[in-house]
Amino acid sequence: MSKGVLFDATKCIGCRACQVACKSWNENRSEDTANRGTAENPPHLSADTWTKMRFTEIEGKDGFQWVFTKLQCMHCEHPACATACIVGAFEKTKEGAVVYDAKKCIGCRYCMVACPFGVPAFEWDRPIPYIRKCTFCFDRLKGGMAPSCATACPSGALSFGDRAELLAEAKRRIETAPARYVPHVYGEKEAGGTCWLYISSVPFESVGFPKLGPERMSVFSDPLMHAVPPVAVVVAGLMTGIYWFSKRREKIAAHEDISEEKE
Amino acid sequence: MTNHWIDIRNSDCIMIIGSNAAENHPISFKWVAEAMERGAKLIHVDPRFSRTSAKAHIYAPLRSGADIAFIGGMINYVLTDMDKHPENYTMEYLRQYTNAAFIVNSDYGFNDGIFGEIQDGRYSEAARNSWKYADMNTPATDPALKDPRCVFQLLKKHYARYDADTVCRITGTPSEVYSEVMRTFCETGRRGKAGTIMYAMGATQHTYGTQNIRSYAILQLLLGNIGVAGGGINALRGTSNVQGSTDMALLSHILPGYLSVPNDQDGNLEGYLKRVRPAAISPRNLAGDKSLNWWGNYKKYMVSLLKAWYGEAATADNDFCFSLLPKADPKVNYTHIGMFEAMGEGRIKGLWCWGQNPAVGGPNATGEREALGNLDWLVSADIWLNETAEFWKRPGVKPADIDTEVFILPAAASYEKEGSITNSGRWVQWRYRAAEPPGKAMADLELMDLIVVKLKELYAKEETPQSEGIRKLSWDYGDRITADAVAREINGYSGATGKLIGGFGALSDDGSTSSGNWIYCNMYTEAEGNKAKRRGTVDGHPAKIGLYSDWAWCWPMNRRILYNRASVDLDGRPWDDEHPVILRYEPEMKWQGDVPDGGAAPVNKAPRGNRQLPFIMEPEGVARIWGFGRAEGPLPEAYEPWESPLKKNLMSGTMYNPCAFVGAYRNERGTPDKYPCIGTTYRCTEHWQTGIMTRNLPWLVEMMPDMYIELGEDLAKARGLKNGDRVTVSTARGEISAVALVTKRFKPLLVDGTAVHHIGVLIHWGYSGKSTGDSGNVLTAHVGDANTTIPEFKTFLCDVRRA
Repeated sequence: MSKGVLFDATKCIGCRACQVACKSWNENRSEDTANRGTAENPPHLSADTWTKMRFTEIEGKDGFQWVFTKLQCMHCEHPACATACIVGAFEKTKEGAVVYDAKKCIGCRYCMVACPFGVPAFEWDRPIPYIRKCTFCFDRLKGGMAPSCATACPSGALSFGDRAELLAEAKRRIETAPARYVPHVYGEKEAGGTCWLYISSVPFESVGFPKLGPERMSVFSDPLMHAVPPVAVVVAGLMTGIYWFSKRREKIAAHEDISEEKE
Repeated sequence: MTNHWIDIRNSDCIMIIGSNAAENHPISFKWVAEAMERGAKLIHVDPRFSRTSAKAHIYAPLRSGADIAFIGGMINYVLTDMDKHPENYTMEYLRQYTNAAFIVNSDYGFNDGIFGEIQDGRYSEAARNSWKYADMNTPATDPALKDPRCVFQLLKKHYARYDADTVCRITGTPSEVYSEVMRTFCETGRRGKAGTIMYAMGATQHTYGTQNIRSYAILQLLLGNIGVAGGGINALRGTSNVQGSTDMALLSHILPGYLSVPNDQDGNLEGYLKRVRPAAISPRNLAGDKSLNWWGNYKKYMVSLLKAWYGEAATADNDFCFSLLPKADPKVNYTHIGMFEAMGEGRIKGLWCWGQNPAVGGPNATGEREALGNLDWLVSADIWLNETAEFWKRPGVKPADIDTEVFILPAAASYEKEGSITNSGRWVQWRYRAAEPPGKAMADLELMDLIVVKLKELYAKEETPQSEGIRKLSWDYGDRITADAVAREINGYSGATGKLIGGFGALSDDGSTSSGNWIYCNMYTEAEGNKAKRRGTVDGHPAKIGLYSDWAWCWPMNRRILYNRASVDLDGRPWDDEHPVILRYEPEMKWQGDVPDGGAAPVNKAPRGNRQLPFIMEPEGVARIWGFGRAEGPLPEAYEPWESPLKKNLMSGTMYNPCAFVGAYRNERGTPDKYPCIGTTYRCTEHWQTGIMTRNLPWLVEMMPDMYIELGEDLAKARGLKNGDRVTVSTARGEISAVALVTKRFKPLLVDGTAVHHIGVLIHWGYSGKSTGDSGNVLTAHVGDANTTIPEFKTFLCDVRRA
């Protein structure tokens, strides 16, 4: 049975306990940040930050709203990252988590391009960099525990359970309080469905969620990757070579990217 | 808290005022969210739209410092509505359980914001007497509430001036929003409905903070919301053991268990008791006719405390060593502000800061940092090197110019020591040591033990009277002091048997018992051991109202909801059948549910002469709508903050609280022509108090890396500022540099026709630790509340410009 997490934005108080709990459990490094005129930080998901809160101020005809949404890997039912990965580093587990084997990663970053949510991140500042992202706390999941973020949530905004049950719960909440929610469970159908589900008082576009159809994102990469395995091997070898060759140049460029974001 | 955290879920309407609970007490929102699931309404009243407002059904903006006008208008609304629709209110509660019906002294007068004659910032004896009941022994009452001199009628007259239009001109609240707040919250006046008020430092940190809270008490009593599940006045304490530290007398005016500090006029124990122990007041014509007057037991608690402290040395012949207690001079202010005023004048030579960082946390921080330089010695016991310990090398000073000798005592963090913490809901919960403290760091208790043992050794041979208090102090903890030994001593022993006392009902005034804190008596018993360690997760309450009485222990006597005798009507039937607190009184079974406030039968079922009134801690047995014990009058009256943007108080000709404490040491006062904006200080979720615990933690620093202020888009535009700019905020006391967060969440408020802007200032930063920045308290003033001297951190005049 696939597990999932339901995020109810109407219950989230933006305390960011989830953000710290994630770093704490995964022993991820802190980032060097600066206040850029927002309560949000770090600025993006990154190799060291697998989840973060986004705060959106919305002034509409229904008055002013401040909406808090949580970003992390959505753990797609049909993950595009996995099909895009030429060395099979990603795996969709039966529990629902999309995990990856860092030892297999060659740093090609196809997954970053393939992901419709922009989740996988690259360790730009490591000598041997890997792709890193939220693992759904797969180590906890296997031990029967909820992910660290959901455990830390004080207000009931994050519920962990079986995806099918959470989907039913999400629909029940919308049905019971139609004034409180927009009639949309984000993740039910998006990109073929995701393990993380969202309900909210505002349309998801207004908080920066990509508008996606029900097609699996993997359909675009699947045929290519599976049809021509010899090509993939060649590509893999080639990419690895190029990667090592140009690592230093990329690293510098990447640093420029990040610092631009910080200004 | 009168109630407790879980109980918030039982509420029908939650008004959060003077608190940003979602950000500063995130866990409370677990219960707020549960209440909302049940259909409860959430109201948030605050100058700024915060994460709390984001979750509220109604957000009501309020000019900082205008709380009494805001609540006064609600009181007026209830009183007016009550005349038209008494069926919508629990009138029996108001008539029988509060002093609404009491007849007040005919000398009482109120004129233009003043309650009588004032001399040197204090009301005269005559004025204070005029606030009392006409008869202080057996006061007359009019349960019909018609007598023009009864509290109810005086209240009506007083708050008739607080009409919604005037209120909104003062508070800046849009009138349609204000009407919605009044209507929504006051619906909890119905029988069976409960409204709660959650408040924090936004309510208390004003020159009239005490009266802000009094105004909540009046409103809640009018609505019958005290003593019931989902009701109450709930102070969200600012740090995890504030309740415990108050219980144990961290404040300068009390001894453990809220016993008064003796003063130099008391003479002896009897003289002290004469001043502090109230006589029972027996109201006439109420259904209840017996006032338990619990504080009549004062002597038992004081003598037991003296026995805990002085042991064998305390005997009836020597007044149980009463003479050894330090005596206060009633004319001296011993609070934080008073202490730093004295330091500034060079009258205090040594200071011990224990987990305290006044160089960042104190008002007028520049002045307080300078005052530290007048000390001969300073001790800082903390888990980090904080700004107070490093004040001598702060930016802008030469260490060679400062003669203060500073001692650092490395302290263990909370997870590195054992002991109890008492939460806001008065639950005493035991914590175990999870890790050894690093290096030479020690638990506070061990540090204190070393010092006391050394002091006793140093004074052992000295015969002087001033050393007697140390020599006679009972300190028999052996080689290694333990929190367990102290917990037992706090509970108290029987002198005859050496056994733990079962509850404060068994304490006596003849020296045969000891108790370090009478309200904690029953926490540690022979039968059940240390009850703070209990971890029962079953709610044994018959109506499952979330009492969890077997989880830890709660003072007093494990009573989870205070004043719960007021949760039932005169026949003993709960006002709220769905959420009863105590219920089903049977002569043999007594009450079911929570531990009742006094176990007597319901008023109508008790014999005449023993019909106990519900509020057992008040000498008159009922709750005080009319509170004659406070410094500035029996009813809250709206004044302006010490620094106000207005030219006059719209409510009266009296601009400021006439009894507020105003410091003299380096305390410049700003005016609106130079400083037109209202500054207010607060915390964010990610940092803690003076920041010394959190600014050293990388995961928290990455989330909130820099000192910042918040301001609205209109003000930013007027000053030519952009979001993320570095700005300077200034007051008459000083200026700070910060990042500007320009937001839609601060809107200008229309106050008496003029747009008023707020600037929100974070308090967490200083010059020590990993993340450094300017301290918000450089801006605040040395002025305090008339009763408590809590500083007016929440309102001051300031301005902002590009750095």
